[in-house]
Amino acid sequence: MDRRLSELADQLAAGVIARREFLRRAAVVTGGTAAGLHVLRRMASAQSGPKLRVWLFKSYVTAGNEILARHVETWAKERKVQLEIDWATFGDREEKFVPAIEAGNPPDIAEMNYQGPLRYRPALREVTKLAKEIAEARGGLLPYADRVMQLNGQYFGVARQAFGAGLHIRKDLLAEKGLKLPKVYDPDVIDVAKKCQDPSKDLWGFGQTLNRCDDGNGFMQNILWDYGGSAWDKDGKPALATTFLKENTAALQFAVDTIQKHKIQPPGVMAWTDPSNNEAYMAGKLVSTNNGASLYYAMVSKKHALADKTQVVLTPGGPAGSFIFSGTYNWGIFKASKHADLCEDLVRWVEDEKRFEEYMKSSIGQAGAVYKARAEHPYWKTDPNFEGMLQNILRSVWPGYPGPITPAAIEVQAQYILCDMAGRVVVGGLSPEAALKEAHKRIEDVYRIRSRA
Amino acid sequence: MAVGAAQVGAKAGLNGRVRGGLKRVLGPDHRMGYLFVTPIFFFVLSLVGYPFCYAIYLSMTHKLVGLPPVFVGFENYVRLTWDGFFQRAVVNSFIFTFGSVGFKLVLGVVMALVLMSPIRWRSFWTGVLLIPWVAPTVVSALNFLWIFDGSLGVLNYLLVRVFHVLPQGIGWLSEPGTAMASVVAVNIWRGFPFFGISFLAAMKAIPAELYEAAAVDGATTLQRFRHVTLPGIRNIMIIVVLLSTIWTFNDFQIVYILTKGGPGGTTMVMPVLTYETAFGAQRLGEAIAVALYLLPVLAVTIMVLARYMRRGRKR
Repeated sequence: MDRRLSELADQLAAGVIARREFLRRAAVVTGGTAAGLHVLRRMASAQSGPKLRVWLFKSYVTAGNEILARHVETWAKERKVQLEIDWATFGDREEKFVPAIEAGNPPDIAEMNYQGPLRYRPALREVTKLAKEIAEARGGLLPYADRVMQLNGQYFGVARQAFGAGLHIRKDLLAEKGLKLPKVYDPDVIDVAKKCQDPSKDLWGFGQTLNRCDDGNGFMQNILWDYGGSAWDKDGKPALATTFLKENTAALQFAVDTIQKHKIQPPGVMAWTDPSNNEAYMAGKLVSTNNGASLYYAMVSKKHALADKTQVVLTPGGPAGSFIFSGTYNWGIFKASKHADLCEDLVRWVEDEKRFEEYMKSSIGQAGAVYKARAEHPYWKTDPNFEGMLQNILRSVWPGYPGPITPAAIEVQAQYILCDMAGRVVVGGLSPEAALKEAHKRIEDVYRIRSRA
Repeated sequence: MAVGAAQVGAKAGLNGRVRGGLKRVLGPDHRMGYLFVTPIFFFVLSLVGYPFCYAIYLSMTHKLVGLPPVFVGFENYVRLTWDGFFQRAVVNSFIFTFGSVGFKLVLGVVMALVLMSPIRWRSFWTGVLLIPWVAPTVVSALNFLWIFDGSLGVLNYLLVRVFHVLPQGIGWLSEPGTAMASVVAVNIWRGFPFFGISFLAAMKAIPAELYEAAAVDGATTLQRFRHVTLPGIRNIMIIVVLLSTIWTFNDFQIVYILTKGGPGGTTMVMPVLTYETAFGAQRLGEAIAVALYLLPVLAVTIMVLARYMRRGRKR
């Protein structure tokens, strides 16, 4: 209790002052203290500058996360900005963004994935000027990243990075058998997998889930392109079971065959989620697996025995070529923010080339280039495994390819419709044609609903 | 005019009867009753009534994130009715719910009977059997995710490497025959202690004299169970089954953590589909329509539950 109130209470107890006098003096003391505190608080907040809510993306590359957070904090200190950092990760980013936007309380600025600019466009500030300024100073955006950041020439995100990826393969096992690195899935990956695997020792040739997760989504989309198909035609209309039925059927059949016919995938692969293949590979149970650079990062940073035995190569292709999708992470500034200038300043700060270089080097291949100048950085020559990751990024396409990127194409990804399609064949017992038609109907629904919006 | 006067008269008579009734029930301070009830009424209206009505409205809209809702009437419900993915989710929900509740009922009765019998360390075993119910669902589900893992899971390790029961591991969460069975098994594991402990409480309330009388009449153990125990726990059994049906139908965590509704929608149930539609597809109106679609079924279940509970209290 306050000393003065305590003294007053003693006086009251001793009968020195009347109850009414006690109440009067206590009110003066309490009111005076409250008023003083209010003034002090206002003075304190006036001195400490504006407050900024920043949402960062927490990837599996922990060193990169720490460096980015430090960069943001240093900026805040320099600019005298009060900072409130929060993190979103693979499993909860949409769960954070959707309620925040609907409640009218989004952060001032957020690091979003490739879906952000199109999905959250109504709540995002147009950042065309800033995006072009940053891109021009770095030799321009790479085509795949440019497609994802803008709609009809209006940019709703400032590109930062794309996660490097590739086929992680056990070069020691290939050397033992005298095999070459695979370039296409069929027959290369199949041959290598069959010759190197040993199911009796729980060693499997290829680990690639078709289940509902980003890894499954990425593979299913890539394999359709590899076989000359796609879920979309050149005009951005659904084409899964129409224009590209033949190509898509062959692609889906191949994906299913890796499990059912060739038996090069481990049991339970259809229940895998994103980290499952990382765990299986690092446990020595896989000869090869497609993954982002986070797997290589985990092995190198932990000095894992398999790091030196692993070669990361270009993601294999199919009869129509080798296609891959790389998701561009980016900065989105929300309309609701009262500090758009500060947000833009923060983007310039963290995208500064020296700071990004520090981040990139700590990320061991994951901080892939979205700008031409960054793709030419000598860092990409420092490890032979980076070559595959970089080349994958340089030839990336976008969701909706060969058509434009659209909200419908993004939603098909987000709903894992292609994964469900594969699951319906592997687990549900449908024929590839029937599964394609079923998925096509779902895609048409998405297209119709999104077109209306 | 005459009709109007008659209606007014009838209305006044009704109001008078209602007022008279209230006065008779609440006494001379019956006006104060309104004063006390009003805050609660508005509290319930604002926290339950308004959100519920707003949800019904949103389910009849085309609502995308960040955009205002567009009224589309029953379009969402009609579309869902003919959507194969949704239909499978409904079927899966019933399989998941009734498969789980059926086994939980049997296991719960067995658990209660075992704990009623004179076994050693009964309190200890009661505590042990309650662990699945007490443990947070997320923790249990994550543990089972590891147990069921095809490559690194302990279940396959035991079956293949230790006991040599199988030549090769099984994809517990990825095979058509085992994916649903696995999520049902986890739900059973988690839920049966609630059944058991409730039945145990009900069994303890059955007078011992009934068993003694049955024994004197020459009833076998099975007959005593059928004619004394089962009728004695019937009411509790109905309430527990109905409560568990509602909880299991709305169970999200176990299925989402173990399979996310996959593979290929094999384990997709309504709560997971609602979540996927809201956050994956980001079609909020449709997501609410998914959630509300089977509300009438659950509402009937709740009404039946409430009726039995009231009947039990009257007795």
